[in-house]
Amino acid sequence: MTQFFLIIGVGMCVLVLLCLYRATYGPTILNRAAGISAIGTKTLIILLLMGVIYDRIDMFIDISMVYALLNFLGTVVLAKYLERSGEV
Amino acid sequence: MIRESDDVIVKTLARLLVPFIVAYALYVVMHGHYSPGGGFQGGVILAAAFVLLGVSHGLEKTRRRMSEKVAGIISSIGVFIYGGIGLLCLILGGNYLHYGKLSKILGVDTAHARSLGILGVEIGVALAVMAVMCTIFFVLFTVGESPEDDGSVE
Repeated sequence: MTQFFLIIGVGMCVLVLLCLYRATYGPTILNRAAGISAIGTKTLIILLLMGVIYDRIDMFIDISMVYALLNFLGTVVLAKYLERSGEV
Repeated sequence: MIRESDDVIVKTLARLLVPFIVAYALYVVMHGHYSPGGGFQGGVILAAAFVLLGVSHGLEKTRRRMSEKVAGIISSIGVFIYGGIGLLCLILGGNYLHYGKLSKILGVDTAHARSLGILGVEIGVALAVMAVMCTIFFVLFTVGESPEDDGSVE
């Protein structure tokens, strides 16, 4: 079972690289914002998979909840900043 | 100055999320010595609730709940709790922040006094961090706008 979660984690890392490409070379700033938000979501899944693999899921759930919260907040604040500065 | 958002999704989501964020921040502060977290992290999550409120419902409504003056007072109270507990241990004959000595005035054994002392210090740190983070947020999002200008200067 551990190997199954390990393979899923490696696949998630590959998907993070794809999102990183979009966040780096995105034509508009909205592409970059969406890419960064997707990277945050995938990091959260990788954290939970690490928790399952190391058998400390009760600790990793706390960290992942904070990560999800701050990721959402960062996207909202970035959108507000872009709306305010009139770039979109 | 941040206006109130027109988007019903952002406003509803913020209204639903803020109580859970505050409850989770209190959990992080209270369980700081069992699980990841502690005073600083709990304070940052508490401040995140106010940042979300300010971004979604505008700075005016946020100032009604947490103004700059109140934030300054709360940060001073937080530092005072931290330093006060440390000095109390010093007065009771231990080192600075030697929580075991608190058992004399709390009326419990040494292990419980250590646990309660750490909890008190973490509450102080969380209050100070929350207030300072709110102050930084207010200052960053009102940069270049003083209250006397009435927003005439962009």
